[in-house]
Amino acid sequence: MFHGRECPHCIVMMPVVDRLEKETGIKIERLEVWHDDQNADLMRSYRNKIEPKCGGQLRTPTFMNTETNDILCGEVQYEELQNWATR
Amino acid sequence: MRKFWRCHVCNDVHFGIHPPELCPTCKVLNAYVEISSAEAQKIFGMTESKMDTIEFRNAIDRFVVGNEFQVNPDKNKVKTLLEGIFNNENNHGMKYCPCRLIAKNFEEDLKLVCPCNFRIHETYQNKKEGECWCGLFIRRKSYE
Repeated sequence: MFHGRECPHCIVMMPVVDRLEKETGIKIERLEVWHDDQNADLMRSYRNKIEPKCGGQLRTPTFMNTETNDILCGEVQYEELQNWATR
Repeated sequence: MRKFWRCHVCNDVHFGIHPPELCPTCKVLNAYVEISSAEAQKIFGMTESKMDTIEFRNAIDRFVVGNEFQVNPDKNKVKTLLEGIFNNENNHGMKYCPCRLIAKNFEEDLKLVCPCNFRIHETYQNKKEGECWCGLFIRRKSYE
């Protein structure tokens, strides 16, 4: 999960991610991109994969499965996040 | 290609493909002449104009007057966003949107400077409850 510290959508998603981790046992790595240059460079390195799924932007939050390249972006309901994480 | 233009009467500077016919500052017609970016930078450097969060908030409050959108009434959200916008200016040079990451291409990243051109974005365009990417600006109810 690429997120921004002062991104309200990311702030909303944090407890949703907490719940997902607790209920499914899936671990979501949280990478802050506005205050950590390495994380920002990592997100930019996936630009070609993220932008087509996120309105042509490097939006936060972006959820990315690095094994399947399955991407979900923005503020979503728990069920949508769960579907992304378990498919 | 956009260029810099200077009003030869009052030194108002314009950045665009064409110069304004009428200088918005001194109201003189056909007063602009093309200048170099170095000259423009010197003119901009004449005045130190730092803007704090209160001044920026006042600026966007003036910006929305007469527009179909308003500043989000959610005070906590706005406080968080303004903090992010100013952290981005301090750390990355411009008031970039806290909900998108810059590409490290200055011209491209200008599209992420707040307020951005959010009216063309999927989160706003053709949406009754449209808002900009980050939610700082939302469509006014009266425009539904």
